[in-house]
Amino acid sequence: MRASIQGRFGDRLILVAVVALAICWLAPIFWVIGLSFKPNDVIMKTTGGLLSPPFTLKNYTDIIATSAVFGWMLNSAIVATGQTLLTLALSTLAGYGFARTDFPGKRLVFVAVLAGLAVPEQAIIVPLHTMFAEANLHNTYFGLIAPRLAVPFGVFLMTQYFRGIPAEIEEAAMLDNASRFKIFLRIVLPLSIPAQATLGIYTFLHAWNEYFWPLVSATKPEMYTLTIGLAATQTNFAQTEGIGFLMAQAVFAGLPVLILYLFFQRHIVTAVSGGFAK
Amino acid sequence: MTSIVLKRVSKKFGTTSVISDLSLAIDPGEFTVFLGPSGCGKSTLLRMIAGLEDVTSGEIEIEGQRIDRAPPGERGVAMVFQNYALYPHMSVRENLSFGLKNIGMPKAQIDERVQAAARMLEMDALLERRPSQLSGGQRQRVAIGRAIVKEPRAFLFDEPLSNLDAALRSRTRVELSRLHQRMKATMIFVTHDQVEAMTMATRIVVMNQGRVEQVGTPLGIYRRPATRFVAGFIGSPAMNFLKVEPAAGEGGMAAVRLGDGTVVQTDIPTAGLEAVPAELGVRAEHVTTGGGIPATVDVVERLGDRTLVYSRLRNGAAVVYEDEGDSPVSVGDAVSLGFRRQFLHLFDASGKAHQAPTLEGGPRHG
Repeated sequence: MRASIQGRFGDRLILVAVVALAICWLAPIFWVIGLSFKPNDVIMKTTGGLLSPPFTLKNYTDIIATSAVFGWMLNSAIVATGQTLLTLALSTLAGYGFARTDFPGKRLVFVAVLAGLAVPEQAIIVPLHTMFAEANLHNTYFGLIAPRLAVPFGVFLMTQYFRGIPAEIEEAAMLDNASRFKIFLRIVLPLSIPAQATLGIYTFLHAWNEYFWPLVSATKPEMYTLTIGLAATQTNFAQTEGIGFLMAQAVFAGLPVLILYLFFQRHIVTAVSGGFAK
Repeated sequence: MTSIVLKRVSKKFGTTSVISDLSLAIDPGEFTVFLGPSGCGKSTLLRMIAGLEDVTSGEIEIEGQRIDRAPPGERGVAMVFQNYALYPHMSVRENLSFGLKNIGMPKAQIDERVQAAARMLEMDALLERRPSQLSGGQRQRVAIGRAIVKEPRAFLFDEPLSNLDAALRSRTRVELSRLHQRMKATMIFVTHDQVEAMTMATRIVVMNQGRVEQVGTPLGIYRRPATRFVAGFIGSPAMNFLKVEPAAGEGGMAAVRLGDGTVVQTDIPTAGLEAVPAELGVRAEHVTTGGGIPATVDVVERLGDRTLVYSRLRNGAAVVYEDEGDSPVSVGDAVSLGFRRQFLHLFDASGKAHQAPTLEGGPRHG
């Protein structure tokens, strides 16, 4: 009895702590959203008073008035979608290869792939830039998409996932007259959907938010992604005016990601908690 | 019906030899059980027949046709796996029909076969369910159904009962025996459980360390084990083994001296012994009370219909014997034991077994 009361008290304490943490995390986001609806001249005086009028939609209409913003959004969508689809295709095929086939030097190649996890993006940005410049690939969708395809996280994730699928299921399919490709397509791929969803969401979110490489690669305004485009519109670096506009830009850029999160919440939570939905 | 022949088959993983030079012929319609402890190579052998493992050397024939280089799907065999290996994302119906679709069978014929298998295994109501919605026993039946619909030349079972609870295991044993009688198909069943082997097999292949120790009918193997390994592996409780020295026998039959000095006369002709007997083997049901060998009761296990009495001879050697269900014996009692000489086994130092020529592998006589 005593133990259960203690247990209940402990649970409540954890709940209170979690709620407090959540508020800490959410507060800046609400602040950003709140400020995005405030007139700039009001914010000049104070950035408090989030819930009190006056409110305005001018900051958002200003974004839409920047005619290039939808083009940048389209660029972001193309880059993020392309990167996601290609990463899924590459990681799934390579992961299956590592998990289920035998070839000379397999272990060495896998170690080489894993070693890639330890290389920070900043360390290779200069050679990458030179390489893409020489190949005339800057300011192209391919140029924006390609470098992230070599990130080994997906290969590692898919390899581990495929290793977890019992080999007997594939052996049963072999006895059922299925070819290696058919087994991959009809048995293994459908079984790996949870891992693919996880990888897809991660890749998409990362590609959407990516700033560094597009900043280097996309130098022409028509090839800007949303992040680069929005940053480029910030001419008032002292930010004595236009903070509301800046906040509206942040909300605008984050909106697609938020919508994506709402749709795939279950998979994201599962991915973060370290297990895959079966 | 299908015969399966293995000719001097070997399997190595790297430098480790798992199966060495194994030859075996399985007659059409036989229910053959590969029996042996973990790591004896029985599953590897089954997987080699299925085509899931390559053969390092040797040949495998099914119906006279060499198949050891053919891909698994073209061997005409169906396999039931230990963990069922059902396709989790497919319904039961799709699980059953997947293999048939792959060979381009017309849909009407697939439906007919699936329905027939579902009826036979009483799972008509489960056809639209996913494996995750089924109990262990139901999954087992789906796995068997998936094998049946293919109408294979041979059924291969890889320890399919090990994931079931005791009650379901014994029920499935009976169902599998019925299935075999009804289909008259060639079946190979791998298990480490001697009860499964004894109850279902028409022939048992006892394996140890990648070699065949003995091939025979269940009772034949039980009554006339060829080696000490087989004698110890088959039967529950396990056979009693007593260290012995040779003694002077009567009428050309061997006699041995136990550790406590008692001389035991056997019906095993001395002429048939190739080496000096090192151990005497006697099953619990062949130990009698009142035979003059003194022992003290250690543990008493009451099973209802019979009582298993664990005793020790004067030299400390353990002997388990069977007594009546309502036996008055209790721990610490002094008992006097005897052995039914026609059922005794002698083992030489190499483990080779010898029995009385009159001891046959027929139905057990009292």
